[in-house]
Amino acid sequence: MDEKSVVSEDNIARTHDLLACMEKGDEAGAREVLDELANIRETTLYQEVGKLTRELHDAISAFGMDDRISSMAEHDIPDARERLKYVISKTDDAANRTLNAVEESLPLCEAMEKEATELQQKWDKFIKKEMNADEFRALARQVEQFLKEQTSTAETVRGNLNDVLMAQDFQDLTGQIIKRVITLVAEVENNLVNLVKLAGLPERESKIEKKMEKLEGPIIPGVDSGDVVSGQDEVDDLLSSLGF
Amino acid sequence: MKILIVDDFSTMRRIIKNLLRDLGFTNTEEADDGTTALPMLQSGKYDLLVTDWNMPGMQGIDLLKHVRADSNLASLPVLMVTAEQKKEQIVEAAQAGVNGYIVKPFTAQTLKEKLDKIFERIDG
Repeated sequence: MDEKSVVSEDNIARTHDLLACMEKGDEAGAREVLDELANIRETTLYQEVGKLTRELHDAISAFGMDDRISSMAEHDIPDARERLKYVISKTDDAANRTLNAVEESLPLCEAMEKEATELQQKWDKFIKKEMNADEFRALARQVEQFLKEQTSTAETVRGNLNDVLMAQDFQDLTGQIIKRVITLVAEVENNLVNLVKLAGLPERESKIEKKMEKLEGPIIPGVDSGDVVSGQDEVDDLLSSLGF
Repeated sequence: MKILIVDDFSTMRRIIKNLLRDLGFTNTEEADDGTTALPMLQSGKYDLLVTDWNMPGMQGIDLLKHVRADSNLASLPVLMVTAEQKKEQIVEAAQAGVNGYIVKPFTAQTLKEKLDKIFERIDG
């Protein structure tokens, strides 16, 4: 808002009036003109205060998104942390269920393999007519026993394979949770950028050198780059180039 | 053949244990970091150490250095199985005297190859 000049025709006229009243000794008239002048002065002050108030209000509403930022800090981020912990426990659980099923099935398969190999050898002996009647009767009993056992083995292995199958349901759940957390991270990023703009800080590339963790952990394709190998073949090449 | 498997994740220890079992190595024991592994190595007679790198407590690389510095353990073959893929780290492990370096995720075939190579060199 432009500040009105004090030197205006109106004010010159008022000043003349004031002087005339005073010279005439017109107390009431002089007061009236003085009040009028004081009023004009006050109006300008009120306008100035009004302007500042509006600016303050605008600034506060611009910070309105601050509400969102504090709600993210208070609620969304701890919530995301809990959700990610749940992802860890779900994947851990799935890995253990799968391993249990495999560890229970492997010895059954090994036993089946061993027994089948033994029966095969005896059967070959029978085909070649190198087996006497007693041996054959023993073989027949062994075959009967084997067949009975295999029914229950197959049942157990099938149950375990189903368990492995069901343990994979973690992928769906954890995928959904991770997607939500990615959305939250994007929102936090956006708000931080806005906050930086509002604070009037120039966006510039950070001069602070990225502090590298000594241990990087798994390499993520498309994210990690630099002096890393991308698989076992490259590890082997590197080691053999060192004379390993 | 007695083997010590060191990894902070129990699922990874179980996977390695099962793979080793499948390759005919049934005598395995487990530890969850270098601090627990070192006294086990010092008191028991192990023929091979399979260790992760990144673990709380004592890390795999430090465990390897301790093993090489201990006159009773210095010649123990050490196979590292880790997610660490920086060239610098692989070189560091090689300089510290590792006998094999496998990056995760790995296959049963890779494990077999590296074990064969280690034992071939020992026998040879």
